[in-house]
Amino acid sequence: MVHRRTCLGAVLLAGMLVAAGCGRGDDGSTTTGPAAPVASGPASGTITLWAQGAEGEKLPAMVKQFEAANPGVKVEVTAIPWDAAHNKYQTAIAGGTTPDVAQMGTTWMADFATAFDPTPGGVDTSGMFDGAKGATQVNGATYGVPWYVDTRVIYYRTDLAAKAGFSSPPATWDDFKAMAKALQTKAGTKWGINLNPGGADSFQSALPFVWSNGASLMNADNSKWTLDTPQLADALKFYQSFFAEGIADKNVSTAAGAREAAFVNGSTPMLIDAPSFIGQLNQAGGAGFGSKYGVMRFPKQQSSTSFVGGSDLVVFKKAKNRDAAWKLVQWLSGPKVQTDWYKATGDLPAVESAWDDPSLSGDPKLKVFKDQLTDVKSPPANTAWTQVSAAADTQLERIVKSGTDPAAALKALQSSADSIGTGA
Amino acid sequence: MSVIHHPRRAARGRAWIYGALIVAVTATLLPFAWMLLGSFKTQGELLRDPNGWIPRAPTLDNYTRWFADLGVEQYFLTSTVVAVVTVLGNLLFCSMIGYALAKMDFPGKRLLFLLVMVTLMVPGVVTFVPLFVMVSKLGLVNTYPALILPYLASPLGVFLMRQFMLGIPDSLLEAARIDGAGESRIFARIVLPLCVPPLATLAILTFLTSWNNFLWPLVAAQSQDRYTLPVALALFSQGQNATDYGLLLAGSVLVIAPIVALFVFLQRFFIQGVASTGIK
Amino acid sequence: MTIADTIPAGTARAGRDPVTPGKAARRRRGLVAWLFALPFVLIFGVFMLMPLISSFAMSFTDFKSSDVQDPFAVNFVGLDQYAALFTNPQFRKSMINTGIVVFAGIPLTMAAGLALAVALNSGITRLRTVFRVGFYTPVVTSIVAVAVVWRFILQPDGLLNTMLGWIGVSGPDWLNSTSLALPSLIVMTAWRNMGTLMVIFLAGLQTVPQEVHEAAMVDGATPGQRFRQITLPMLRPTLLLGAVLLSVAYLQFFEESFVMTKGGPLDSTLSVSYFTYNQFGFGKYGFASAASYLLFAAIALLSLAQFRALRSRD
Repeated sequence: MVHRRTCLGAVLLAGMLVAAGCGRGDDGSTTTGPAAPVASGPASGTITLWAQGAEGEKLPAMVKQFEAANPGVKVEVTAIPWDAAHNKYQTAIAGGTTPDVAQMGTTWMADFATAFDPTPGGVDTSGMFDGAKGATQVNGATYGVPWYVDTRVIYYRTDLAAKAGFSSPPATWDDFKAMAKALQTKAGTKWGINLNPGGADSFQSALPFVWSNGASLMNADNSKWTLDTPQLADALKFYQSFFAEGIADKNVSTAAGAREAAFVNGSTPMLIDAPSFIGQLNQAGGAGFGSKYGVMRFPKQQSSTSFVGGSDLVVFKKAKNRDAAWKLVQWLSGPKVQTDWYKATGDLPAVESAWDDPSLSGDPKLKVFKDQLTDVKSPPANTAWTQVSAAADTQLERIVKSGTDPAAALKALQSSADSIGTGA
Repeated sequence: MSVIHHPRRAARGRAWIYGALIVAVTATLLPFAWMLLGSFKTQGELLRDPNGWIPRAPTLDNYTRWFADLGVEQYFLTSTVVAVVTVLGNLLFCSMIGYALAKMDFPGKRLLFLLVMVTLMVPGVVTFVPLFVMVSKLGLVNTYPALILPYLASPLGVFLMRQFMLGIPDSLLEAARIDGAGESRIFARIVLPLCVPPLATLAILTFLTSWNNFLWPLVAAQSQDRYTLPVALALFSQGQNATDYGLLLAGSVLVIAPIVALFVFLQRFFIQGVASTGIK
Repeated sequence: MTIADTIPAGTARAGRDPVTPGKAARRRRGLVAWLFALPFVLIFGVFMLMPLISSFAMSFTDFKSSDVQDPFAVNFVGLDQYAALFTNPQFRKSMINTGIVVFAGIPLTMAAGLALAVALNSGITRLRTVFRVGFYTPVVTSIVAVAVVWRFILQPDGLLNTMLGWIGVSGPDWLNSTSLALPSLIVMTAWRNMGTLMVIFLAGLQTVPQEVHEAAMVDGATPGQRFRQITLPMLRPTLLLGAVLLSVAYLQFFEESFVMTKGGPLDSTLSVSYFTYNQFGFGKYGFASAASYLLFAAIALLSLAQFRALRSRD
């Protein structure tokens, strides 16, 4: 029939055109020379800034001070939902509609690094946590600056822990497991601790254990994945043992609010979460609940290393007002502004000296966070991490739910990771 | 039906049917009820007792926050403008091409219809990135046209209108043509008025898709004054690590209410419209 | 038959196109037809066809998200990515899962929709709008609210297991079981979509003429016989429409799995659409496009098969 032939012809033609026009160039390394310095003087013009969620809502008020200090500049903030923000940045970069400055989650830095402006030498990040700075380094170059940090610590019910005979946080892994068990046997809780049993983002939540056992995900020059190591296997064996010994629930509920409810009613008196969880616990637990729980660093094996996340501020290559954008970024990195930002949003400052402010130094829970932030690591900043992480999630699920031997699972993971590559 | 022969047995049979239907519809409406009740709870209660039904300390807070603090009217307005224009555009364009496909002969007719039907089967997500690149090259990012244009040509709309119009007697149109009426007059004065059922159906379906659309409006808008309701809902209720469930549920009620209202109003036409289309 | 043939020779039109009256008039009519079709075709061409063609082309390259700024500097890999899909164990699992959803879910949803439509068409008059709107509400309700309630129902200590407990059956952990999670989600999807089918079948039932039923009743046919031998055959086109709409939707099964189980446990609820979504998230646009077009091929094939099977035999 006529139209079938023309269809086929059209497809073939399109195919040939595509084949003719395509082909990766022999470009090798992308040349990013030293970044041009930022011009001196006050900022001027309009700066477009994208930020997610709560940060996006609170920024307009904050940047008014910047506008006051730099007359002639106007900062336009657009708030983006966290849900699908990754898509939004992807399509914006594709369509060339990126803003001047954006809030970039630390795990997204590698994905979009090719669209960022490298950090000029004049921008000072010496006062920031080392762990946070690590996330801004992609492929040997530095992009953006850390804005606020996030880490993971262990939340525990101090009242129930006292009943179980633990009046101070456990120091070692063995003590930690003993504490979890004691909470079940002596304090009568249903479970000892809430741990992620596998599935989306579970491997990332197990990383503190991995790092604390001295394992690292890649080799020294980041050219190869090193997942199939005895240290990693031992760390995951430890993780698995909580489930195997009935201390953690394999089928833990992922329903909204379930963890908070379980922590508040005491059925699961320990869990791992970020500083932002405090706000939710206080809401779920009501007045006075704050005195019933505390936070502690990860227990030490080889070290007591946790995960560092948060957000960085980046300037895009195609920024229309580059100099003013970097000035805004520098302003937001000042210690006083960082402290003010904490007071407005609860986001933990990336600048260490900002923590000296009484609102931060006086809170015992925050002391623990700062302490933990001295030993934190972030996942590899390469474009293959999300895929390798997803493959690791699958293996972790097998380890927890099917009881697969960690060493065997890691062998499989290593071969998956090798075939995914390092995204270089 | 057995109504004619056994009135009493029929009445008893109907009672059973009523009973079963009432149980079924109650079960079906449970999520809506839970959502409505939950929108009056505080965040604390939602976190502490996620499975509870009746709010223990009912509050209008979630709704007042939407109206007073977050300016939900603005997003309502954007969503409404986008949805109404999309619906009207679809009604016009789909009926025009439906008429051409159903009642006129022209070269390429079969290929065109086949092409349109084929796109019905393509998973939507695959065209996102190329579509956005094109929209930005056209300079339309963050404009109302960007929110509206990609949805102004609904293949399902073409299908509905064409199927229905196939059933319009040719004699009616021939008579008008003999009287000297041009095609546009025939279309406007004769065909369209006959098409109320499929037009109503198309209106509801298009409104539903446009109103609930989340991903595209998020991607196409650069500033908050072009956000539609679902985007605003996600923005204000989802944090990086936490969700404001009270806001989420109240916002969901606000998003669903117009659709349910529209459906209650138009459901008779809807069923009639569906009845008179692909059932041949 | 053209208009020119029906116009009697004596009318004003007759003298207009002396040489080839048919052809010129046909051309003019063709032009008018294209004018009617033009607005739709323009929008459709620009905003639907062109992205479709470029994404189809992308599926034959190793396009990644980092390539957007320089789209032509990618490698043409031909059918390699399509082949890679079939050797990917996760993709194969997702194909099986999607197949189960389609072949179990479609009959289930159609049966439910048909039952509701028949019930609503059996002469009940009161509360009719309540029933119609009520059963259609899940179709328009946000998946978030639906997910919360269904989790409440399916939890180990949830509503379903409580009710099973009344009859002495100890219910399993539905959503955490690799064998029961997908069936649970299928039931949930059927519940969400039966409203659409109910509406379509109600419409179809109303086209069954009452006289045929009455004639059959006079002949002594039971309701069951009447349903099987009169109603069902006359509903064939409606059933076809319902089946095709469901196929298109269920082959793209995604939301329920995304919100309730995140594709788990152990990928037992991972669908092809979910797999594709993940690939888009990784930035592997070429690979993800290939998966999408494979899905499209499946949709087209299934629809075609259904047309063959359920086509009106008169």
